[in-house]
Amino acid sequence: MKFVLIPALVLVVLALRIWLHRRRRSTGGEGAPRPRGRGRREGRPGWEPPLGEIGLVASREVRERARGKIFRVGTVLILAVVAGAIVIPTLGKGGKTTVPPVGVVGSLDPALGAAVVATGPALGVTVKLVPEADLAAADRALRAGRVSVVIVDTRRLMVDAAISPSDGSITAQLVGAVAQTLGTDEAYISAGLTTAQAETVAGAKPLPVASLTPAPKGKKFQSTSIIGVILIFVMLNQYLTWTLIGVMEEKSSRVIEVLLAAVRPIQLLTGKVLGIGLMAMAQATLILVFAVSLSSAVGSDLLKGTGPGDLLASLVWLMLGYGFYCWVYAAAGSMAARQEQVQSLAFPLALPMLFGYIMALTTAGTGNASTLFKVLAYLPPTAPFAMPVLVGLGQVTWWEFTGSALLSIGSTVFVARFAARIYRRAILRTGRGIRLRDAFSGTA
Amino acid sequence: MSGLLELDGLTRRYGDLTALDGLSFSVPSGRVVGFLGPNGAGKTTTMRAIFGLTDLDSGSVRWNGAPVRPADRRRFGYMPEERGLYPSMLVGEQLEYLGRLHGLSRSDAEAATGVWLERLGVAERAGSKVDTLSHGNQQRVQLAAALVHEPELLVLDEPLSGLDPTGIDDIGAVLVERARAGCCVLFSSHQLDLVEDLCETVTIIDHGRLVAAGTVDELATAGARRLVVRVEGDREAGWAVGLPGVAISEVDGGEVRLVLEEHVDSQTVLAAAMAVGRVTEFSFARRRLSEVFREALG
Repeated sequence: MKFVLIPALVLVVLALRIWLHRRRRSTGGEGAPRPRGRGRREGRPGWEPPLGEIGLVASREVRERARGKIFRVGTVLILAVVAGAIVIPTLGKGGKTTVPPVGVVGSLDPALGAAVVATGPALGVTVKLVPEADLAAADRALRAGRVSVVIVDTRRLMVDAAISPSDGSITAQLVGAVAQTLGTDEAYISAGLTTAQAETVAGAKPLPVASLTPAPKGKKFQSTSIIGVILIFVMLNQYLTWTLIGVMEEKSSRVIEVLLAAVRPIQLLTGKVLGIGLMAMAQATLILVFAVSLSSAVGSDLLKGTGPGDLLASLVWLMLGYGFYCWVYAAAGSMAARQEQVQSLAFPLALPMLFGYIMALTTAGTGNASTLFKVLAYLPPTAPFAMPVLVGLGQVTWWEFTGSALLSIGSTVFVARFAARIYRRAILRTGRGIRLRDAFSGTA
Repeated sequence: MSGLLELDGLTRRYGDLTALDGLSFSVPSGRVVGFLGPNGAGKTTTMRAIFGLTDLDSGSVRWNGAPVRPADRRRFGYMPEERGLYPSMLVGEQLEYLGRLHGLSRSDAEAATGVWLERLGVAERAGSKVDTLSHGNQQRVQLAAALVHEPELLVLDEPLSGLDPTGIDDIGAVLVERARAGCCVLFSSHQLDLVEDLCETVTIIDHGRLVAAGTVDELATAGARRLVVRVEGDREAGWAVGLPGVAISEVDGGEVRLVLEEHVDSQTVLAAAMAVGRVTEFSFARRRLSEVFREALG
């Protein structure tokens, strides 16, 4: 949890400082008093969105996104994919898999019989023993499929069809387990062990092993990291495309001139990315809560062992990733002249994300973070993918996590200033597209 | 409500092109000011400069004697040449949103939206998406967007283009009404006869420079004398060609408008007209705005 709490506290302090700064500015006024026209906001009762014009713009974004088919269908699709990833692996485990009983020809020591039955739970099946009158009856039972395997006089096993070494079926596993159990018993007898000695050997437990470094998390954690990285990539792309298209739409529909006659470009831009960011956070939180709840309800072990801190870390990096990239995408949207340019503008911007995504998937799959990958976890463009994987693999400390988060926030401030400048220059420029150099130098 | 918008020495260059070249004029409250000029004269750039939508190389825009600030602009209303509203947003919600961006409270924005949609005859479309409206109704909604917060300055770029006569009458009436209420109204148009009907004051620019300004009366009565002559059966006014000190301004359906130099005796003109037929009309006239416009542009 400390992975999340400390960066969250930093964010709260920053937000508080910004709010206080704005409050001082608004109460300090901008000079001459404003004439009170009919219905001006000042002095009027009722709820007003926080952050003034920025809040209004953000509210509109939230309202329009929530109404939009893209958001609703997208949310449902992601929820469906998450549900599938959680539920489908449990389907084979949900009902008890059954196998035909184990036939017994001749006598079988009760203790040995119990040992054979005890092989069932490890395979997820219930093993029952059924006596067969003689070999002929056992033969018929095997051919009819009434029994899966027959124990003949304790020392021999019979199956219907030969089992290949690559056969991973439950029956094959059961036959292997029974053969091992009986073989071990025969070894005990050959060694001349008493029953008590045999039980002592059978009950042997491995010695505890101490390690100098914590063990990497297991396969389940890796699969959780992979799913988390995929979700971050998919959702980040979705939110950033919203931003790009949203800015582009305001420009192409020419509503931008009407808006900028009332609010400053930085207010409009901030409100837009804030509104989309809020919707993104709401959607991501919904998906997270849904995944955890569903996983718990169906008994999936996909998220088992994944602490809330790991999940929240993914959420935090999704938001930090959005915060970093949204400004870039908004600036790109402001430079587009036509709707068709959206894809060509988005592609180069997505390259660093794609690189981080592929590296994160590879690392989550192998479970070993290379030095390059650890470096990527500190670079703002790739950290949203790399850092959650390091958290999932338990290969990062809280202060490394916080350091990377602060680096990302600092870079976001820099990128936002740069993007706001481009946005201001480019958003009112129609006709042909605008070049980056022109937008930045102000010749636009 | 009163105010004064002053534009002082506005200059804006785009590379080698000078869009505004030291342009200065003012827009007082209580009047509808027509803003005229040929295509590319700098009208739209001027209007955008008022709202800070284009950077100026020099000059300043002042409101009530002080440089315009963002807070002032929230009390201005703007209808840009390139009409723009959110296509898939509901008309009513859109106007409320814009009203709130201009400083209205939620309840006042709702009330003002209802009032202006009703006033402009599109109240029944409040729940429609903008892109489902006809061109004329979109134009009305666009005007409502500029008016919803009851601005102290109203700047409209070609508000009458593409409208049917009813729409022109409705919007024209609103402009005059807002001016009478003390609002500063500046609007551009190429429909000079409409400008002449609606405006008390006219400003004409060309190549980013002011070329004429004044009340419609001042501009109409200024300059050389004008004669309107109609000769029965004559539609070409060939008799007037070559008369010393006389220039043909317009020929329209047999009516010829002549511009007389100061030394020309009108009786000489009358005699020339009577020589080709029966004169059915012979009177001195004011300059039309179209004549003012053409003469101002040289």
